[in-house]
Amino acid sequence: MKKMINFYLLEYAIGSLVRQKSKNIFITIILSLLTFLLTAVFFITSSIRYELNQTVDALPEIIVAQTKGGKHYDIDVSKADSILSITGINSAIPRVWGYYYFKNAGVNFSLVGVGEFEDDYKEILENGLLIGRGVRDVLKKSYFKEYFNFILSDGSLLKLDIKGEFDADTELESNDMILMSKDNLRKIFDIDETKATDIVVSVANPDEVQTVASKIQLLFPNTRIITKNDLKISYQNIFDYKGGVFLALFIISLFTFFIIIYDKASGLTSEQTREIGILKAVGFTIEDILKEKFYEGIIISLFAYIIGVILAFTFVYIFNAPLLQNIFTGYSELKTSFTLPFILDIQTLVIVFFLSVPIYISATIIPSWRVATMDAEEVMR
Amino acid sequence: MIELKDINKIYQVNKYNKVVALKGINLSIKEGSVVVLKGASGSGKSTILSLIAALGKPTSGEVVVDSVHISKLTDNFASAFRSKNIGIVFQKYNLISSLSVKENIILPLIPSNPDALELEKKLQKVLEMFEIVDKKEILVKNLSGGQQQRVAIARAYIDNPKIIIADEPTANLDEKLSLRFIEILRGLKQENKTIIVATHDPLFFGLDFVDEEIEIKDGHLV
Amino acid sequence: MILSPEVLTLLILDFLFVLFTSIVFVISLQIWKSWDLNSTLASQYTLEKRSFLASTIIKFIFVIKIPLFLFFIFTLDKISNVLTGAMCGAGVLDATDVGNYLIMLKVINIYLFAFWLVLNNSDLQNPTQPYTKLKFALFSFIYILLIFEIYLEVDMFFSFEIEKLVSCCGSLYSSSSDSLISALFHVDNSLLVSLFYVNYLFLVIFYFFKNNYFFALSNTLFVINSVFSLIMFFGTYIYELPSHHCPFCFLQTDYYFVGYFLYGALFMGTFNGLVVIFKNELKYYKISMLFNSLYLVVVSLYVGVYYIRNGVLLSPM
Repeated sequence: MKKMINFYLLEYAIGSLVRQKSKNIFITIILSLLTFLLTAVFFITSSIRYELNQTVDALPEIIVAQTKGGKHYDIDVSKADSILSITGINSAIPRVWGYYYFKNAGVNFSLVGVGEFEDDYKEILENGLLIGRGVRDVLKKSYFKEYFNFILSDGSLLKLDIKGEFDADTELESNDMILMSKDNLRKIFDIDETKATDIVVSVANPDEVQTVASKIQLLFPNTRIITKNDLKISYQNIFDYKGGVFLALFIISLFTFFIIIYDKASGLTSEQTREIGILKAVGFTIEDILKEKFYEGIIISLFAYIIGVILAFTFVYIFNAPLLQNIFTGYSELKTSFTLPFILDIQTLVIVFFLSVPIYISATIIPSWRVATMDAEEVMR
Repeated sequence: MIELKDINKIYQVNKYNKVVALKGINLSIKEGSVVVLKGASGSGKSTILSLIAALGKPTSGEVVVDSVHISKLTDNFASAFRSKNIGIVFQKYNLISSLSVKENIILPLIPSNPDALELEKKLQKVLEMFEIVDKKEILVKNLSGGQQQRVAIARAYIDNPKIIIADEPTANLDEKLSLRFIEILRGLKQENKTIIVATHDPLFFGLDFVDEEIEIKDGHLV
Repeated sequence: MILSPEVLTLLILDFLFVLFTSIVFVISLQIWKSWDLNSTLASQYTLEKRSFLASTIIKFIFVIKIPLFLFFIFTLDKISNVLTGAMCGAGVLDATDVGNYLIMLKVINIYLFAFWLVLNNSDLQNPTQPYTKLKFALFSFIYILLIFEIYLEVDMFFSFEIEKLVSCCGSLYSSSSDSLISALFHVDNSLLVSLFYVNYLFLVIFYFFKNNYFFALSNTLFVINSVFSLIMFFGTYIYELPSHHCPFCFLQTDYYFVGYFLYGALFMGTFNGLVVIFKNELKYYKISMLFNSLYLVVVSLYVGVYYIRNGVLLSPM
């Protein structure tokens, strides 16, 4: 049985790479940078996607929102009771929440009302707030340390004490959040006692979500029903889309790279031409020389790939991806300041592999072939 | 037995310029004989050597070595033929200067993906034979002309070819080293190798172990 | 359409394939027109050199195509999360009109590429290169198929509508749907399984007689019989569900990726079985029998183990 890898040829290929140091270092740097950029972007998106999925998982199975002509409106609290009558439903709770714009810092806070059944918080929230970490930092800058003044719709102020802050598993969601009692929230957003922002429904059997959702839709045709799955899909699409747009830009760099490699691999010094002549004269076939060139290509592209991936790893998970991260987060400034959770994403590594190694090798095919089929008799002259 | 029949070789320099290198060459060389091809540079000696080594193909005519029509071989078989039958010593040695002596000498063995032990054995043999054992790991560019010459012969010899071709082997050597090279050839003759030397160095003329001297001028045999 | 990174990666590589195989196609035509190994014309030497470029490119594409095929299946599985109703790759393929043809074409092309390389190898090993014209004629045919495959793939990715509800594999591979596969449901299971084992018996017989043409023919039939019996019978034991007839789901984690192993063994076995047409060597017979037997043993084991554990067989449909 013949050995699969010809180590002497491999050794020769490595030597050949070293002999043309400057050219190969240049190529390695460019290829590493490209893989680094691509891997980093994918790492960031998959981390954010994971974070969002965690958040979505914690969400209720079904959200029912009132619409009028497709526009979102407050929903009647009484509808929750009608929904409860559908079999298979655990609970249907009206929620009160909304975004509050804080002009001083130019950011949005998510205000969430805690209702009468959530006893644990009741006492704390009687006349106070629980805030997320991001909110605390923003408020500190505006010298709100013990209380905060909300501006109501009639122009008057509502002063509420800050009772504490909370940690949560997923920072992306909770960073900009303020918890308060439903009554206070109703005052801030000017919502009637009989109204709520939406109704959340929890279903006993996850397989029945789709059925229950369609039953609610039948019951109230002018509501919009959002299931957890819908949210997941739309998140996935947003991130695939953003990743895709980036990839489209990447394609352009890739083909530029292709041309650079093609050019670099085509330019041969007289010394290299002589070497190929020698190899042929001592009995190398065209295929042997192509194989040697292929070894060179594999070594350089795999090396650059590994370097690029390691760099991306360090950049994203150790330095938390400065600059790049902002492209993918940031619908409110507050939301950007979270740590990316570590996800080992093999799929990303596979994609990046397909976009670096084969592309590099393909760019060297024609130049290598030119070299390998050069007339060997030149070496005799 | 090496036979060249009605060989013509024309190099197409560019669209309008052709160079006729060989015209109607007929030649036969017996196995085990030593032949010196004489002629000024540019006379076509090197071209004949490259045809015998199957490095190039004639424009017309046939090259037959041991009843194999090597001028008709496909690349795979031409290379196999070369690695089995031919060892070449080039005019400027054609060593890869940034590789070590060892790395240069084993080049002909690489395509066959040799076993490490077998390779070491062959290497040791030629190192001893050409007295360069102590130079094994040294880079070729740090060797003297004579030493480089011996490395080149070692490389030509390592796979034990039947035919050894040398193109102007002494062009860059002083007389003493040239004579030493001639002694090496004499030794190879005793191993019954067919040896073809293309040279214009008078030292090779009238040597006792040379079977035939052939003179070439402007692509003709004289 | 879906513009996910996976899909874009596939599209980029498709583009490269088109570019490079088109070069080979042009070379093929030239060789078909004026290949003459005895000629000493410069144009013949040029053609000989170009034939090396062609074989290098084909080798390269083949080597990429195999992992890329797995990646393609994987991508379909991932898209199945996005398409409502689809649970695995099968549903995704069915979401467009061309999906099922695409996957068949992909498999056929991999066989053809591998076949071409073997042909190329035996061609170069012969001083007269007897198959050169043949192999490039064959490539022209492969080229057309490959372009068609890429056209279908691009078409498929562009015609996905995320909002559209698609079928899951459970409803696809059942007697109620009107696809080609559902016609199988009218064939008796025991017949399919017997055909499979009888086919294997023929493999063994021709292995001992070393008749290369019949061995290759049996191998061709073995691919078909294996896939059919896998969908209809053996698959149900992998899922341990009498009604689940999906050839994709066992590629997923839940079944320990056994599908990759099964398809891999089947490919290695039958492919080497086809190679004997050109290279009537014992080595290929052996490899072929080894992998085909491995495949047979593993699928049979699923049935056997199920029977031992439960004491009954899954009722035939």
